[in-house]
This record gives sequence, structure tokens and C-alpha cells, in this order.
Amino acid sequence: MSNTHATERRAFLKKATLALALTLSMGTGLLSTNAHAEIGKPEKADLKLGFIKLTDMAPLAIAYEKGFFEDEGLFVKLEAQANWKVLLDGVVDGQLDGAHMLAGQPLAATIGFGTKVDIITPFSMDLNGNGITVSNAVWEKMKPHLEMKDGKPVHPIKADALKAVVEEYKKEGKPFNMGMVFPVSTHNYELRYWLAAGGLNPGTYAPGKDDIKGQIGADVMLSVTPPPQMPATMEAGTIDGYCVGEPWNQQAVAKGIGVPVITDYEIWKNNPEKVFGITKAFAEKNPNTTARLVKALIRAAYWLDENNNANRKEAVEILSKPEYVGADKAVLENSMIGTFEYEKGDKREVPDFNVFFRYNATYPYYSDAVWYLTQMRRWGQIGEPKDDKWFDETAKKVYRPDIFKIAAEALIADGKMKKEDFPDFGAESGYKPATSDFIDGTSYDGKKPNEYIEQFKIGLKKDDKV
Amino acid sequence: MNTKQLFQTLVAPFLGILLFLAIWQIGAPKIVTSLGAVPGPVQVFEQFTGLIDEHQAARQKEVEFYQRQEERNATALAEDPNAEVSIRPYTGKATFFDQIVTSIVTVMTGFVLAGFIAIPLGIVAGLSQTVYAALNPLIQLFKPVSPLAWLPIVTMIVSAVYVSDDPTFDKSFINSALTVLLCCLWPTIINTTVGVANISKDLQNVSKVLRLSWWTHVRKIVLPSAIPMIFTGLRLSLGIAWMVLIAAEMLAQNPGLGKFVWDEFQNGSSNSLGRIMVAVIVIGLIGFALDRGMLLLQRQVSWDKSAALR
Amino acid sequence: MTTKHTDHLLISQVSIDFPTPQGPFRALDKVDLRIEKGEFVSIIGHSGCGKSTVLNIVAGLYQATEGGVILDGREVNEPGPERAVVFQNHSLLPWLTAYENVELAVKQVFKGKKSKAEMREWIEHNLTLVHMDHAMHKRPDEISGGMKQRVGIARALAMQPQVLLLDEPFGALDALTRAHLQDSMMEIQATLGNTVIMITHDVDEAVLLSDRIVMMSNGPAASVGDIVQVNLPRPRNRVAMAESVEYMRCRKAVLSFLYERHGRKTVSVSVEDEEVQPARDNIVTLKPSTAKAA
Repeated sequence: MSNTHATERRAFLKKATLALALTLSMGTGLLSTNAHAEIGKPEKADLKLGFIKLTDMAPLAIAYEKGFFEDEGLFVKLEAQANWKVLLDGVVDGQLDGAHMLAGQPLAATIGFGTKVDIITPFSMDLNGNGITVSNAVWEKMKPHLEMKDGKPVHPIKADALKAVVEEYKKEGKPFNMGMVFPVSTHNYELRYWLAAGGLNPGTYAPGKDDIKGQIGADVMLSVTPPPQMPATMEAGTIDGYCVGEPWNQQAVAKGIGVPVITDYEIWKNNPEKVFGITKAFAEKNPNTTARLVKALIRAAYWLDENNNANRKEAVEILSKPEYVGADKAVLENSMIGTFEYEKGDKREVPDFNVFFRYNATYPYYSDAVWYLTQMRRWGQIGEPKDDKWFDETAKKVYRPDIFKIAAEALIADGKMKKEDFPDFGAESGYKPATSDFIDGTSYDGKKPNEYIEQFKIGLKKDDKV
Repeated sequence: MNTKQLFQTLVAPFLGILLFLAIWQIGAPKIVTSLGAVPGPVQVFEQFTGLIDEHQAARQKEVEFYQRQEERNATALAEDPNAEVSIRPYTGKATFFDQIVTSIVTVMTGFVLAGFIAIPLGIVAGLSQTVYAALNPLIQLFKPVSPLAWLPIVTMIVSAVYVSDDPTFDKSFINSALTVLLCCLWPTIINTTVGVANISKDLQNVSKVLRLSWWTHVRKIVLPSAIPMIFTGLRLSLGIAWMVLIAAEMLAQNPGLGKFVWDEFQNGSSNSLGRIMVAVIVIGLIGFALDRGMLLLQRQVSWDKSAALR
Repeated sequence: MTTKHTDHLLISQVSIDFPTPQGPFRALDKVDLRIEKGEFVSIIGHSGCGKSTVLNIVAGLYQATEGGVILDGREVNEPGPERAVVFQNHSLLPWLTAYENVELAVKQVFKGKKSKAEMREWIEHNLTLVHMDHAMHKRPDEISGGMKQRVGIARALAMQPQVLLLDEPFGALDALTRAHLQDSMMEIQATLGNTVIMITHDVDEAVLLSDRIVMMSNGPAASVGDIVQVNLPRPRNRVAMAESVEYMRCRKAVLSFLYERHGRKTVSVSVEDEEVQPARDNIVTLKPSTAKAA
């Protein structure tokens, strides 16, 4: 059958794309476009994909509800998972064929922090979408330290305002606890980034010494809570605040139990967030299925952002179904249609709060992977010093723009999408230009990870060992 | 039936339920959770009808799903008469009622398998002091283990052992069924053993005088006389199985009513509490029905129809 | 009505020890008994003297510590249908009907020897023999105690045993029922001519039914104390018998053995004391001629 042909072609093309990333050749680009035009039948058509109840799972729900999976000949079952660990285990042991994952999960799994298994990500699910919420009590204490304008606090709020509160807790001998969703979650790194930028040490990990709590030298004690349980856990007083994706910040506002203080958009503008993860073995065994999955997801992401978020209301309708996110529509609407409610009544426009397609949100950039690796290094999850080459190689092992490219080109060939919708594959190196869109203004260049780590006051330096 | 009996069998239970509903309806709105006030019976009933609607909507979607496939296949065949086409099973979400069916199928699978293991084992242990002595420490050791402790082990072992490209059963189904099995083995083994060990000496002598073969002895003497105890064990086991299953489904996110409850808890929507309460009532009703079912079965197979069975 | 003296059943020097925490307890000591074919022998003695133990050894349910039982020249060391037992309390399988209870035994004994129809006929025949043909398809819990015991006898008879062992078969029945069953027993024995060993508490029953009455001395280490030969012609009639001199003689002999020569010294409660059933003790003590209560 033509399958063997396709595989050979793909094997060749994989190499070709790698070469392409360095030396750009118009000719190869053309060749690949032609070759990718038809993707063979899916090797595996019945799939089960896992997700966590968060709005950023939207591409999966949309691809299902809009029939994008079916268009690709894929029959997908979507299953909500209890927490990120269960989800990862499901993918590892094959109960799930793929899942909505934290960007850090495929990286951590590949380098062996936690479960060691090769997981790849051919598709990035969204940008931004998280927020940090504190309990009402903490908010009241923070307020006097905030800069006000027209009776409303000026955003972004820096963690400096929280510092006084934490000091107060320290004096009383009470720990200041905050929740994040997983040790390698974006939320963990964002929360740490925000705290550290405000002079609060979130503590480091020491996997070599079996310290996996990540609270060494911490001013603020961070611990894991599954996203949907965040509001309830804060309400119970176990944590004083948390960093989580939507709708769980807006839920706190709706329930009147807490106040979101900052969105991750303000911590790092257009930061990469969730990814779609599958095992490397799955991708190798089922290259057509993988490419078709990515095709369907790209279309879903495109649909979500199409015509300036025109479809978002319908997306909210879908996400509010109990089988997906299941939260009340009003809560979901806030973030999904580009507003964010801080204090009750303090609703502000954040048009880019949830970005699914714009700014090449779906493309798996190596530089995004490297950023996560630098944070793992900064907080001691990677205990040994690593050179810049290692960061690059690890990123390339996990992030697979080559697969994304096959899918994108097939979509262009199908006439479903246009060339302009994607980065110029011929010219794309996978590294975004250096940026300093961070709350503390630090400049990040994915090609120089060690130099980047050196800039921080709090956290491990490039030569530190734990 | 005299007045007192009538009161006790019909009026009293009715009054009990009515009183409970009244307290619930009055008390519930006074407790305000972060998901809103606790729903009363009326709201819970509304959620129940909502779940029925949802189920019907899902069935409608299923019909459309198959229609779409047929259309796609027809187009594919029109383009290329040799195209391989197939109809795939529905991929939509499992509704509340689907989850009920899943849970019942899972619990019965685990329970029936456990019965097939526990009854013969119990008979052998009841007949042979040596086997009993060998088995007893294991039974005593494993009996008190919570299902939640078995679950991770079962999950790991199943994923290591049950490797197949085209599995007949879902791993999650096997995990749940095995966990149920492990937890409901023990009451049946213990009760069967006791039942068999306590067969009247006279009947044993009859068997000896008749020189019944081992197999005939088991069939004609042991089994019938141990039946009441076996059923006591089975009913305990089924009760445990049902409780274990719900817990296991919640913890492992395996399909079923437990997952329904957990998903609703996670949804945190204003409907969630009401839906969870529907699930709780349904779980109770099914547990009750399962027990009654066993009782009926026991009446069916037991020789002693006069024994008071509750 | 055999006249030829053969050693049909020989109980030879049988002793039995039961283990107890205090060491072995000798229940029977050198019990010796020869029984002829077709003979009806009763064993009588006080509760706990080990009468039932003797029967159980003959049945093969217990193993003698010393000595042994020989049936037609072959040693008995396990139970078997040629020595059918009628147990104290009927021991019918409660989940089977009267017919099915007998059938279980018949199938076991005549498998391959009788056809299905023959078996059916044989089962019905035996149930008719004990006057149970009207309630063949009733379960034990649907019939009276006497009827249950009749089925128990039918089951034993249906095995066509060489020796019929009756372990206090009528002890649990009321006086009237007991009398009916005793009559039936005599009738059956007259027809079939089985060798019968019967354990009993009841002196009148022993005299009425037996050719010989074996009186056991009290335990521990019980043994055959004395034997009374009952020289009453058969068929016997219980009413006519009451005035018979021979009947009176036998009755007196047994009573005097039991209550004068071997009056109970103490209530011996051994591990094997299965006879501690007040109802049956009462039967003995309520006899008008009882001199000293036990």
C-alpha cells in the first residue's frame, strides 16, 4: 500500500525539515508542500484523548463538536481527567492516546523529572489564560500597598504588595501557602516568577536529595491542588491564594471568595501555555493519525480566534456542557470573550486573555520549550548545570514543528487554510526573537538560556547544583 | 391486614420519607455553599429531568453521528468504489444513564468473577482444615484492605500485563472490575467456609454411609446446606462491591457513576450539587435493588423457603 | 428365623480411646458380641455408656482403637451401604423430597445394576413399605417427625443392607407414633429378615422388638454387662405381650441390670457424650418400676 511510501517520505522529510531549520531552501520547501498534500489513512482511527476541566481545552472540544476530527477520519472520545498526574499516567500506559497537557509535562517526562517517558508535542494549544488569585483576607491586607487610580487598583499588581502580608504571616509564625496545579505546570513557574519578581522566594526543588516539595528556602509555600478544586481548597483555608487557569479564577470572583490579582498575560505577554502531548512511540507508530489530529486541532484553534473572537460565545456554550468544563456560562464568558473580572465589579478588557490561534499560538516553538527548561533549572527541578546545547537538543526532542508543518501544509493543500495563517515554514527557525515582555523587564533569548538564568536575583544560577 | 399492620407496612415508611423530604426542603436553602444554596428535593428532581433531557439530546447526537458517517462513506464510495468504509462506534459523552449502565455492568462483572473464585475456595476451605489453615491468614490480611489501596496496584499490574493492540475490554473497565473483585472476595469466602464447615454431622454421616463421591458430596450435601451462608456472603460482597466501585470510579476516573459525581464536583456549576444529589439517590436505589435482587435469587435457589430473609 | 449359628457379624474385643486434653479417654473396653444373620439385637444402657459408639464402630464411622468388627468374614473399617444406618434424628437432606432422599441412596447403591424404571419402582416400594407412599414428594419440613423417621428407615432399607443399624430411631417421637413405628419395624423385619442392631433407652421397646438385649455397663471403659435372650414368639403383639410371663421376666432382668447392678454412679460427660438429651433420659426415669432415679 501507499503507507510504506508515505512513511519513507516522511522519514526523509523529517531529516529535511531539520536541515531546513538551519539552511533554508526554497526548493525543499516546494517539494515538501507537494509531498504533504495527501496524508494517508489514519493508522488508528478510534482515539481517546484526555483533558482537564479548563477553558484552554477548548480546541479539543471544538474539534469534536465541529466535526473537525471526523473530517480527518478520526473518531475521538474526550475524557475529563481527575488531575495532571492521572492524565499523564493515562497517556504513558496507553489508556489515553493523547492529552491536553501542561507545557512542562512533555519536557519533564522526557528529561525524567517524575515519570520518565518520551512525550512529544506537535501542537501548542494556547497562549495565556492563567491568573493568580488571593483570598479576600489577603486581598484586604494587600490593598493599602497598592497604587490606586479612580478608586481602582492600577494593574499589573506586583508581588511587592504581597510582601508585607507574607512578612506579617512570618511574624505570627504562620506559613503563607499558595496552590499551583502541578510541579511542572506553567502555573508553578508563573507564580514563582511573579513572587520572585516581587522579592519573595518561592523555594527550590532538590530532586537529587529527594526533595520534591520545592520549598527549600521558601517565603511562600507552594503546593499542588488540581485546578477544579482550587476555589474549594482556598475557601477551606488550606491555601491563601493560587495560580490556575480559567475558569477557576473567575469562579472565585463569582463565589465571592477571592480576588484575582494578576493575569499571566501581565506576567509574560503572550506566554505559551498548554500543549497537546502524545508519546513519541504513538507518533512513530501512527504518523498519519498524528498529523490528522494536529490538522483538526489547528482548525479548531483557528475557529476559536476567527473574525476577532466572533465564535467565542458559541465556544462558551459548548464548554459549559458538563462533559467539558461544565462551569456556569457567566463564569466562562468572562475570560473567553476577552474580559477579566478582578474585584467584583472591576471588569476589564483583556482581549488577549485566551489566545488560541493568533500570534502563531499553535506553533510549537523551541524557544517556548527552552523557557520552561530554564525555569526548571532556575527552581532546581533540573539539579545539574546544563550547557546551552543541551537546552536546544532537549527542546528539539520534545517540540515537533516538523509534524505541525506536515499538518499545516496539508490544510493549505486542502484549501481549508491559507499560507499566511502560518509562520513562513521556510524561514522559521523555531526560536522567537528575544523579548523582554515580562513583568520585571528581564530579556529572554531562547538561544542563550544560561545567560538568561544568570539575570535573576532569586533562584539557582547556571553553575549551582542541588 | 389489620390497622396496625397497615400502618407499619405502608403508612409509617411513607411518613418517614415525607418527613425527610420536608426537613430537606426546608433546611436545604438555609445552607449556602459557594455553589449556591443546597438544592432541595424539588430542585433535585428538576436536575433529574434535566439529566433525562440531556440523555435524549445525546441519543439524538448519536443518530446524527451515524448519519454523518453514512454520508461520508457514501461520498467516499462514490469517489472510489473500492474505498474501505466502516461504521465507527459513537464517540460522544456518556450520559448519566450510560454511566449507570456502565457501573452496573462493571459491578456485576467483578462480583460474578469474585463469586466464581470465592465459592469454590470457600467450599474447599470449609471441607479441609488444612486448606483453611493455609488460607485463613491471607484472608484476614487482605479482608480489611481498602479498595483505594488496591487500585494503584491493580492499575499498574493491569497496564503491565494487559497489553493488546485491539483490547476487547477497556483497561479502565478491567481496573474497576478487578478492584471490585478483590474487595468482594472475602465475605463470600469467609461465609462459604463457615457454612460448609458447619454442615450437620448427621448429614456428613449420611454421606459417608452412602459412600458418596467427593463431587456428589459437594453437590448434594455441601452446596445445598451451605447455600444460606453462601448467600449471606454474596449479599455482603455485593454491597461492598457497589460501594467500592463508586469509590474506585471516583479515584481512577474510570467511567461510571463515581466519575459522574466527580466530574460534577469539578464542574462547580450551579447545577452541580443538584446533579450530585441525583447521583447519590440513584446510587442508593441501585444498591438497594441489587440487594433485593440477591434476596430474590436466594429465595429462588434456597430450599428453605420458610426462612425469614431480610 | 435362622437356626444355623454362623458368625454373621462379629464384634471382637473392641476398645476405643478418645483423645482429651487430659490424655486418652477409654470409652469402650473389650466389647465382644456375635450376631447371627437375621437376628434383632438391642443394645441398652445408660446415657454416656457408649452404646452409640458401638453402633458407630459397626457402621464404620469410628475406628476401634483395639479389636475390630467382622462382617461375613471381612473386616469393617469404613462406612458402607451394606450397613445402613437409621440415625437418631432422621438425618434427611432437608432440600430433597422423601422420594429424592431415598433416590440418593438407591442411585448410589444400584448404579449400573438397576434400570431407571427399576430404581423408581424400588424407591416407591420401600416408601410403601414404611407407609409413606402418600407423601413421597413432600419435603422433610412438610411432614411430621414420625414420617421423617419412616423415610429414614425407607432410605436405609432401600440400600438392601446386610445389617440395619438403628441409632435410637424412635427416641425423639411421641409415645403413640413410637408404637406405630415399632409395629412397622417388626412387620418389615418379619418380611425382610434383616440383621438389625438397635440402640435404645427404652426397656419396653427393647423387649418388644429384640431377639437378644445386650446391656452395657457404665463407662468409662464400658463393656457388655449382660445379655438377655428374649424367648417370645413372633409375630408379637404389644397388648397381648404385656401379660406374658416371659415378657415380664425380660423386662425385669433389664431393669434390674440397669438400676440395681449398674445404677448410674455419676453423670459421666465424656467428649463423646452425644446422648445428653434430657427428653430421652426422661423416658427412662418416668417408668413406674424405676426404683432409683439416676
